Amino acid sequence: MIGKICGIICVISFIFGCFTGNLSQLSSAVVDGASNAVTLTITLMGMMCLWSGIMRVAQVSGIIDKFASLMSPVLKFLFPDAYKKKNGLGEIAASISANIFGIGNAATPLAICAMEKLQENNEKKDVATNDMIMFAVLGTASFDIFPTTLIALRRAADSQNPFEIIVPVWICSFLTAVFAVLLVKGFCALKKR
Amino acid sequence: MAVLSQIIVPLVMALVGIGMVVSKKDLFSAFTDGAKDGMKTAFSLLPTLVVLLSAIAMFNGSGASVALAKFLSPLGEKIGIPSEIIPLVLVRPLSGGASTALITDIFEKYGPDSFAGRCASVIAGSSDTLLYVISVYFGAVGVKKTRGSVPISFFVMVFCVFLSVLMCRIVFI
Repeated sequence: MIGKICGIICVISFIFGCFTGNLSQLSSAVVDGASNAVTLTITLMGMMCLWSGIMRVAQVSGIIDKFASLMSPVLKFLFPDAYKKKNGLGEIAASISANIFGIGNAATPLAICAMEKLQENNEKKDVATNDMIMFAVLGTASFDIFPTTLIALRRAADSQNPFEIIVPVWICSFLTAVFAVLLVKGFCALKKR
Repeated sequence: MAVLSQIIVPLVMALVGIGMVVSKKDLFSAFTDGAKDGMKTAFSLLPTLVVLLSAIAMFNGSGASVALAKFLSPLGEKIGIPSEIIPLVLVRPLSGGASTALITDIFEKYGPDSFAGRCASVIAGSSDTLLYVISVYFGAVGVKKTRGSVPISFFVMVFCVFLSVLMCRIVFI
C-alpha cells in the first residue's frame, strides 16, 4: 500500500514537472529527499539507541510490567492479543504516554519498540495483526497535551493568544482517537486475517 | 505543562542512573544491549525513508502539491472547509516539514487569529504525518501487508479535518 502511494506520488510529480518545466527543481528535490533521509536516520539512530536502552533497563528492572498493569484496563480493550500473550503492553503504554506528553523525540523510537513486541506476537510475519493496525492508526491520530511547536509558531506570528487553540485541539484529538478506535474495531470484526 | 515535557527526559535518565547504582542486576549492559538493537532498527529504516522522502520531495518540488490544492479548493469550499487551508489539509498527511511551512504561510497571510489561522492550528495540532507514521512503524518490523491501516487512518484524517473546522466554528464564532 505504501509502495503504491509512493509510486503514484512519483509518477504524478514527474508528469507535472514535465508540463511545468520544473525539471531542474524536480531533480534536485529527488537528491535532497534522499540525503534528508540519511540525516533523519542518523538523528533517529541517536534517539532510537537512547530510548531502546532506557526501555531495556525498564524491562530488566520490572518497571515496564508495573506500568503495563497500571494501564491494562484500557489496553486490554484496545490490544486484546498483546494482553492475552502478556507481551508488549508496557511498551505500548510507554509509547502512548510519550505521544500524549510530547516527550522530546521519544514518540517514534518508543513506538518502534512497541511494534517490535507486537511483531513477536505475530504469527504471519509479513502481515499486520489487529493490534498493529490499532497501534499504527492511533499513532497517526496524534494526541498531544501541549503542542509545543504549534504554540511556538503562533507566538512567532504575533498571535493575541497563542494558547486559545489548546482546548479545541484536545477535544478534537480525543474525538478523533475515539473515531479511530471505532473504525479499527469495526474493520477487525469484519475482516478476519 | 511545558516544564513537564522539559524535565521528563532528564528525570528518566536520572532514574536509570539510580537504578544502575542501586540495582544488583547489570543495568548498564541492559542499556547497551537495548541501544544496540535500537541502532540496528534505525539503520534498517533507511531504505524506507529514502524512498518515502524522495517521493515527497518530488511532490513538493514539482509544484504538483500546490496545483492540486488550487484544483481542489473550490471543492473544499463547497463542503465547508475554508479554501485557505486546503493546501495544508493535502500536505499534512504527507510531510511534516512542508506542513509547518504552510502553517507559517497561512499565519503570515491571514494572521494566526483569523478563522483560517485557527483552523490550521487545530488541524495541525490534532493530526499527524500519516504516511510517515505508517511506513516507519511497519517498515521497522518488516511487515509488508498493512491491511486496512492506510485507508482507515485516511478516513480518520478526513474526520479530523471536518471536526477541526466545526470545532473552530463553535468555539470562535
